[in-house]
Amino acid sequence: MSKDKRDAVREGGSSKREFSRQDFLYFVGAGAGIAALSGPLAACSRFIGGAGQGSSSGGGGSLRVATTGINPEPIQVFIGAFKDKNPDTKVSLTNADTDKYQTTLRTQLSSGTAPDVFFVWPGNGNAMALKQVGPAGYIADLSDQPWADDIPERYESVTQLDGKTMILPTTTTLIGAITNKQIMDDLALEAPGTWNELLSFCDKIKASGKVPIALGNATPWITQLIDYALVPSTVYADNPDFDEDMKTGKATFANSGWRDAMEKYLELNDRGYFNESPLGTSYEQQLQLVAKGDAAMAVQVSTSLGQVENYGEKDQYIVLPFPGNEEPDKLWIPAAAGGSFGLNAEAKNPEGGKELLRVMAEPENMNQAASLQGALPGIPNDQFEVDPDLKPMMPFLDEGKTVPFMDQLWPNAEVQQIHFAVVQQLFTGEITIDEALRRMDEAYQKGS
Amino acid sequence: MAGQPTGAAKPEGRGVFALLRKGRRGRSQAPWIFLLPALFMYALVMIYPSLAGSWYAFTNWDGLTRTASFVGLENFRQLLQDSQAIASLKNTIVLAVTVTIVQNAIGLLLALGVNYNIKSRNVLRVIFFASVVLTPVIVAFLWQYIYAPGGALNRVLDLLHLGWLKQDWLGDPNVALWAVIAVVIWQYAGYSMVIFLAGLQGVPQELYEAAEIDGAGTLQRFWNVTRPMIAPATTVNLMLSIIGGLRLFDQVFALTGGGPGYATETLSTVLYKQAFIVGAYGYGTAIALVLALIVACIAMIQLKVLRSQEVEA
Repeated sequence: MSKDKRDAVREGGSSKREFSRQDFLYFVGAGAGIAALSGPLAACSRFIGGAGQGSSSGGGGSLRVATTGINPEPIQVFIGAFKDKNPDTKVSLTNADTDKYQTTLRTQLSSGTAPDVFFVWPGNGNAMALKQVGPAGYIADLSDQPWADDIPERYESVTQLDGKTMILPTTTTLIGAITNKQIMDDLALEAPGTWNELLSFCDKIKASGKVPIALGNATPWITQLIDYALVPSTVYADNPDFDEDMKTGKATFANSGWRDAMEKYLELNDRGYFNESPLGTSYEQQLQLVAKGDAAMAVQVSTSLGQVENYGEKDQYIVLPFPGNEEPDKLWIPAAAGGSFGLNAEAKNPEGGKELLRVMAEPENMNQAASLQGALPGIPNDQFEVDPDLKPMMPFLDEGKTVPFMDQLWPNAEVQQIHFAVVQQLFTGEITIDEALRRMDEAYQKGS
Repeated sequence: MAGQPTGAAKPEGRGVFALLRKGRRGRSQAPWIFLLPALFMYALVMIYPSLAGSWYAFTNWDGLTRTASFVGLENFRQLLQDSQAIASLKNTIVLAVTVTIVQNAIGLLLALGVNYNIKSRNVLRVIFFASVVLTPVIVAFLWQYIYAPGGALNRVLDLLHLGWLKQDWLGDPNVALWAVIAVVIWQYAGYSMVIFLAGLQGVPQELYEAAEIDGAGTLQRFWNVTRPMIAPATTVNLMLSIIGGLRLFDQVFALTGGGPGYATETLSTVLYKQAFIVGAYGYGTAIALVLALIVACIAMIQLKVLRSQEVEA
């Protein structure tokens, strides 16, 4: 509209009211106000009215599942098998990385919005471990489930609370040295069975110009693995009741074989067996060093084997025990209940959740999921064909020379965090082993 | 002017619009009426949850159980004795101050550069800003490879015959914090550039011409014309970068996890670990509360100082 026309309208005394810029702003402001106020009100009404709807649909044909891990295939095996049997149940799966998973699940549990079935770490040691979450009453008692009695006795301490079975361990995870077979063949090396054999093994690799042991201590959880690999031999082989002794105060980190393990860890570093700058090397870089043949081995959880194969070639790597003393009979290994699942005590669909756990416990499903991640089934069975790359570890399982991952039996998550930090500080030379063990004891004594 | 409407000629009307039209007082209330919906939403989703959450700083809540016991100032007493938290406060301040100074200096230089009428200025603006749109975790992951012992940075230094400058960038406790700071600056210098650029484009060309006629050189023109004219942009940039630096979490956590040891631990990473990993939610909230107070105090002082300079300018 031209200015002349606008003026003509005004001068003509038309009954039409002028709609000025100011009026426009008033209306927009008022509109925004109404919209802003109506949003929360609408949200409130949906919340109030929706409670009934939510519970009816949740109790009907839907099941919410949450897990963590970089490999989505194992959980898909379980969900696929569940859907085959329960085609009418809609399954919604959430997968998050560890940190986000722990944060989110704790918030969901405390606010009553957690999924029906969710991943729980066995034992203790982190914020979403059974002994952190279970005592608050968020996990249902599963003792009456058909698979509960099949859980190996060695896992009772990390899957039970007050004698009640609370979680289903779907895998057994091992810690050993993922080793490049090509390098072993080229140098005609035999798997070491004692500490001195390990040193000799590393010397030969180093002399060939390769890195004997890849280490990615920039990633905090990697820092613990060599201690975990050594401690079964330096501590538990002589005293299988070490954890009980720690609880009663008879033993401490400082007066145990933990000192020996840490000294050996640093000796490996002093001898130059690790890659350049372990503290500047991440988990992924560590695995790539082994996968590409730049390093001979990496002390790792067996579930990292698949990742190494992704970076390199399939079937080119083998998992070997990592010896920590001079007596082959006292070579023990860390083997723990791995990926475990629990049922929400306030599940919207408890029957669906129990059915999913039954499906997970079926040998064929558990075996398939374990094979996909370089692990063994959490409930042993005759149908499982052990991956040839894991076979060197099997005699130790058969003979019971295994120890759960140490943090699973610690009273709180702080000990593990301190362990991460002190190993890094030992490598930088900021602290001594005495100081490291003192700090770990101090954190342990804070209790649960 | 013929046909010019007057206030008196307007229909009086009723309701809120009429109220708003009633003289100066009504007009002075108008901004508040527009602000009200936004303020209401802000109070609902920010202020109320923050204040309600602050309560946990005075409890021993573990983040899980349905009850929490009141422990008074115990969490704050623990904080004062926590050498790790105190060391992280020092790291936080070093990080925030360095990021604020260097990021804005680089941002200003970039803005001055791309403000010139050069052919490729639009391309350069996009390139300098591109890192801002990447998520911090992706940036951290990329830089982990660049900083790796055999990574790109050390290789480039070798190529340039500057091997003596090679470092264990993330593994050396004396270097790691500075390596993290460099990543933050690399990512956000483009953000500061954009704000400075907006300020620069609002400077009237006539002022430069007048200064030139008065015989002012390049540096004098910058100091006496550009600097005061972009003072509001400087205020915004300094405020955002100091607040962002004090609260920084993502890049630190993804690059080093606070290590090696505690060398790059900041208050944000300590509070995260305490609340969500160790399960000391009450203590974590106490750290968060102290951090919020530090941020608020520094921001207010900074705002007051910078605003006073804007007035003087």
